[in-house]
Amino acid sequence: MISDAARRRYQAIVPPHVDDAYALARWLSGDPADAEEIVQEAALRALNALETANVERPRAWFLRIVRNAALTWMAKNRSKSLVFAGGVDDLAAIEPVDPAADELSPEAILIAAEDGERVRRAIAALPPPLREVLTLREINGLAYREIAEATETPIGTVMSRLARARATLAKILEEKP
Amino acid sequence: MSDSGPRDDKLLRLNAALDDELDAAHRLELERELARDPQLRAALRRFSAVSEAVRRHAPREQAPAALRATVAALGRPKQKARRAYLPIAAALAAGVVIGAAAQALLAPSRAADPVAAALAADFARAELSDRPYDVASADRHVVKPWLATRAPLGVEAVDLGDKGYPLAGGRVAVVGATSVPTLVYQRREHWIAVTELPLALAGGPAGAREGTFNGFRVVRWADRERGYVAVSDIDADELAAFVAAFRGAEATNGGEAR
Repeated sequence: MISDAARRRYQAIVPPHVDDAYALARWLSGDPADAEEIVQEAALRALNALETANVERPRAWFLRIVRNAALTWMAKNRSKSLVFAGGVDDLAAIEPVDPAADELSPEAILIAAEDGERVRRAIAALPPPLREVLTLREINGLAYREIAEATETPIGTVMSRLARARATLAKILEEKP
Repeated sequence: MSDSGPRDDKLLRLNAALDDELDAAHRLELERELARDPQLRAALRRFSAVSEAVRRHAPREQAPAALRATVAALGRPKQKARRAYLPIAAALAAGVVIGAAAQALLAPSRAADPVAAALAADFARAELSDRPYDVASADRHVVKPWLATRAPLGVEAVDLGDKGYPLAGGRVAVVGATSVPTLVYQRREHWIAVTELPLALAGGPAGAREGTFNGFRVVRWADRERGYVAVSDIDADELAAFVAAFRGAEATNGGEAR
């Protein structure tokens, strides 16, 4: 049984961030219909948690629940290959930050960036831990501190993942289509 | 994670600068490095081109109206939340006019009425902060002068205590660039905020219109002098009853003291 106080807190915290929740779930799952289910599940979890939770940063708090709901959802409904790859350690192997920036031209990115479909495909192709940080930063507009809270990751890791995500995207966009 | 050399550190700082997360000292230092390092400049241009491309081509989409309604309904008392799982029922529960249902389901309600949306957001903030009013008083002779010094429009602060809505206090909300006086009444453990608007913001005299924004119920109406917006998390019927009581009291003693 949910108390009135929890419902009041819920009303103040969750519905105002439903667009952010949907956008995050959309990019994590890659599918609009799945995103709706994930957000509904996250909203239910949030309502239950608000009996006791003390929320300081509502948006980061709710997006963290959305993210965890997405992980659970994908573990249940997607084949293993699509689920989040292990930990941070795998990432170094996937895509080191590319220091050889000068070999490639920013102009190539600018040209490729004209093609919206190509940009969206490139985002979808990012490894999930990079994609979620990129989404939270560029699409949800969260500060580093909020991203750290939403992903339960140290801020240094957030920074390096974001740099990797952008470097990887740059590389994808610089390649011939 | 692999060990990050000084070059990697610079790239992290480049990103932090791009995201406005670098303090002034580090920013200055980075600017000096950028001035003497063409590779770093190229890296900055790449990162910012990518960032710009993502923002442009993957904008934050709005949640579908049915999802919005379902999420909002969860916070209401149980019976209603269950019914609202059906998108159509949810749209009806959310006060969407039937004739415009198809259009309303597509167009998020916030775009349709920015004033109501702004005041619903204000209500959410106030509720979240556990400080629904800036001046706490059940005495309208305290609330009224307090508001008068802070918002250009004077309010009457009608007394509804005998009708079951004690005055709790007042605060100043902001719509666009205009400060607007807001009275906060109490109903059991719920708050009802009534904001008074100049006619220019209210859009002319009109009967009561009801809607739901971010899960909060909003009723707005206007007389010849000004507009009113009531926001609350109580039931639609209860809010309608409050509005009727408020309008009745305004009509009785509204003219006397402005």
